[in-house]
Amino acid sequence: MLIIDQIRKNDVPLRHLSLGVLTGMGVLLVGLWYVQIASAGKYAEKEKGQSFRTIRIPAVRGKILDRNGVVLAEDRASYNLSIYMASLRPYFTFEYTNVVRPAFLRAHGGVKPKGKQLEDLELMSRYLVASNSAYNLGGLLRTQISLSEKQFLLHYERRPVLPLPVLENVSAAQVARFEEQPEHIQGMDVEAQTVRVYPFNTLAAHLLGYVTHDDSSKFDEESFYSYRMDDFSGVVGLERAYDEALRGRAGVKSVQVNRLGYRHAEQIETPAEAGSNVVLTLDYNIQKAAEEGLASHGSNTLGAVVVMDASNGDVLAMASSPIFDPNRFAHRLTVGEMEYLLDPKLEPQINRATMGIYPPGSIFKIITGLAAMEAGVLNPEETYESPGRYPLGKGIADTAAPGPYNFYKAFIKSCNCYFIEYGRRAGLARLQDMGSRFFLGQTEGLGGLRQESSGTFPTPVWIEKQRQQGEHWTEGNTAHLCFGQDRLTVTPLQMAVMTAAVANGGTIVWPRLVQRIEPQEKLPEGDSSIVIKNEVRGLINVNPAHLEVVRRAMLGDVEDQIGTAYAAFHKRGAPVLAGMRVAGKTGTATVDYSKRKIVWFASYAASEDPPMVVLVMVDYGSSGGGTCAPIALHVYQEIERLKRAPKSRTPMKGGIL
Amino acid sequence: MNTIPTTKPRVSGLGPQLWLAIIGIMAIGVMFVYSATMANESTNISAWYRQYYFRQIVFYLAGGAVAFVICLVDYRRIVRWSLVFYWFAIILLILVLIPHIGKVSGGGRRWIDLRVFQLQPSEFAKVAFILALAHFLGRPVEELRSPPVFFKALGLAVLPFGLIMIEPDIGSAFMFLPICLVMLHAAGAPFRFVGRLVALGGASVALVVAVVLFAPAKWQSKLPLYPRERIWVYFGRDFEMPDASVAERLKVQRDKRYNSEQALISVGSGGFTGKGWRQGTQNALGFLPRAVAHNDFIFSVIAEEMGFVGSVIVITLYTVVLFTGIRIADEARDRLGRLLAVGVVTMLFSHVFINIGMNICVMPVVGVPLPLLSYGGSSVLCSLIALGILHNIHIYRRSY
Repeated sequence: MLIIDQIRKNDVPLRHLSLGVLTGMGVLLVGLWYVQIASAGKYAEKEKGQSFRTIRIPAVRGKILDRNGVVLAEDRASYNLSIYMASLRPYFTFEYTNVVRPAFLRAHGGVKPKGKQLEDLELMSRYLVASNSAYNLGGLLRTQISLSEKQFLLHYERRPVLPLPVLENVSAAQVARFEEQPEHIQGMDVEAQTVRVYPFNTLAAHLLGYVTHDDSSKFDEESFYSYRMDDFSGVVGLERAYDEALRGRAGVKSVQVNRLGYRHAEQIETPAEAGSNVVLTLDYNIQKAAEEGLASHGSNTLGAVVVMDASNGDVLAMASSPIFDPNRFAHRLTVGEMEYLLDPKLEPQINRATMGIYPPGSIFKIITGLAAMEAGVLNPEETYESPGRYPLGKGIADTAAPGPYNFYKAFIKSCNCYFIEYGRRAGLARLQDMGSRFFLGQTEGLGGLRQESSGTFPTPVWIEKQRQQGEHWTEGNTAHLCFGQDRLTVTPLQMAVMTAAVANGGTIVWPRLVQRIEPQEKLPEGDSSIVIKNEVRGLINVNPAHLEVVRRAMLGDVEDQIGTAYAAFHKRGAPVLAGMRVAGKTGTATVDYSKRKIVWFASYAASEDPPMVVLVMVDYGSSGGGTCAPIALHVYQEIERLKRAPKSRTPMKGGIL
Repeated sequence: MNTIPTTKPRVSGLGPQLWLAIIGIMAIGVMFVYSATMANESTNISAWYRQYYFRQIVFYLAGGAVAFVICLVDYRRIVRWSLVFYWFAIILLILVLIPHIGKVSGGGRRWIDLRVFQLQPSEFAKVAFILALAHFLGRPVEELRSPPVFFKALGLAVLPFGLIMIEPDIGSAFMFLPICLVMLHAAGAPFRFVGRLVALGGASVALVVAVVLFAPAKWQSKLPLYPRERIWVYFGRDFEMPDASVAERLKVQRDKRYNSEQALISVGSGGFTGKGWRQGTQNALGFLPRAVAHNDFIFSVIAEEMGFVGSVIVITLYTVVLFTGIRIADEARDRLGRLLAVGVVTMLFSHVFINIGMNICVMPVVGVPLPLLSYGGSSVLCSLIALGILHNIHIYRRSY
């Protein structure tokens, strides 16, 4: 063999040379083995590390739909006109060699730029090219577009792989104008982005909540990206409560870049998984009617309306006023908007239906009456002579005139003395017991919304706690409790649940806002929807005859001429509603003996199956019958209209292009 | 002729192995010069006859023609002109140092622009030096024992070495040392001379390295910056830049180490079978600088795209060439032929070892081309001339 022969030679110098060559080649082979086989993984990693950038691709967030499929919140594309660095690169070089460098040479008498100077000149060339493109775009679209040097250089330095938006949120017409150019403006192209859109703007804004850009990684996600494109996360409301279902899973895209960081090629590593749609129990039309009702009282009405299916707890509408537009959170808020949102009296961001706590006033007499009847101290037919001012302490005022009252009359005239008398006869313990059967002082299980309060109910535990703080419970407190004042606060939603229990024969339901969570794209086989069932929370366990007494009295409150809500539901002696019979109770609570009145109307459509509860609360109102009952009437009219025209149940998608 | 048997009774045919290996190397050369340069858009769009791979083919053909012509004439007749070649090369080495004649590139004044061709005198000087030294050492071996003769032989090497160091082109300059030493050894110069020379050379290199790495800055400033930087880079030392901020120093350091680091990544990421011809990303994305990918770092491109398999093929081809050369030296009919062959083999081996070595960080990065694979007219031409001489020795091994 060639090699062996040479080594065996007895020619010493040539043998040395042969051995030397052999050793050298051996060293190279071992070296190559070490680099290419033993450490191949390490270098492959390094190679990938310097030439790949990973980019997070956000998933499309799920829609929020009403019960008939009307879209209440969705992701939509918004278009930016953006500069793509990689395609501008040849122009950078051209600009430098043909414009910037010659100018420098002229100014410096032929001295070539060096070091920092050279770098600055190159940066300047790049900026000139980019700002020229931006200027041309402005000319094309006839708008003023400026690209600041700082903004450009920062982007160029930090994330050259991503497009730099020059004009954000362009209209379809502008996109068309840009696209119809035979030759695009250099380096400029349309870039699609998503924004969260609430097509009906303020509709159900409190319940839906809103989103913000979120740059944190979810727990099951890769935590490192070279660049991340954020998705949204719900801050409050349903967006928050169902955030996990709505947001889906972000994907990963890897971009191959060259030494200068320009994009070379890209591929999707993991596709993004779209989030699920959340289908609500809400009805767009009823929600709209509820909000119209509140608005009819004045634009900055402080109030809430809850419409609920008494048979199962489905919430058909939940309105709160004043309103705000969640679309505005996608942009920078103006000072005026900010002041409005933070107004300490209006507090537009508060969902008053679930978060607002108010004394219930006379609508609490439903509970007082039931407690007294169940205790056996109240015979509905028995007549009580009202003194007009209840004799306890300095005396408790009453709006109802003195005179004889039985339960029916006392209920529809809302006689405080009557209910104080029988409430006191039943005793605090009985009142506490009945209140607890309605779960007063407890939340309605909507914690995920981040907007729920529990209210306060003077349970024995609560009273004891107050006592330890030096606040002793007095007979006066019990007397005030009987007509829903003083130490008792509730949320409108709690009152809706209470009304529903009266309407459905004594069942306390859990309010349900979401029917099901379903995939955005329906799969051909298998329905992977998650259905959320209606659930019963408890039974009030009262004698049906007693409940019937209350229900009859509530019907009388609306239908009897002396009832507090009669005026609102009748026009010249004839009922406004066509056939629908409504039962209700008005309430007015005064706060701290001031002029501020919190007025209520708790009602349900007695003639309907299932009965619909409409609960209205207005802060700073005048009276339950005068302020709230007309709002409820508006909602009932809408329910009637929908019943008559079932075909139109899927309304137009207003406000969508 | 003398007491040392230089010709062997066994005289066999060489077979086509030498030229098959050479053609194999050249084929790989065309393929990968193509791969290394076609990724560059500006090269891609120029006319086919101006492209690197085509020019490389022209160089191969030209070099092959010159080698053929060389084989027509007995090497002894060529060697008679060796001193003319040598001094001509020296003149070119002086000319290249003169501004406006020599062209600056890659940190040294190394080229003479002949319009159609960039002449690199240091390449031709190596071949001329081998001829001259072989001619000088061809004298009877007894004479080599006298120090004056020995030092004259050394002088032949020191002159071009010094001139090339001035350019500076450390890699090319240092090429003269192994060639000179091995030829002296093969010529039968006494071991005490050669050994001392090796010891002295080693000691002075060690001294320079030690001074650069460990001595105070005052001593260092006596040395030129360029070799100091090479040494810092090779030993991974922090640069000493008294006027620079930390950030500046790190940037310079990164820049200076950049080539060798990227070459290593290219070679390593090739793995066992490589990414495939023209599929290498290091070069295409510009991480391996385009200015050097097709010449000094062509091996990185080959290793990245053909992997360890490709590396072994390249090494094998060179090994075939080198050992055939040693055999030709063995079979040469006289001391002159033997010395010439040894010189050529040593030159080729040194280039291969240093070039591939610097691609895998075994050797410091110095501008040494890989014979026949690296793009470059001077290098290709000189390699083929050297191989022509080698074959010439084989052809005329019997004709007395």
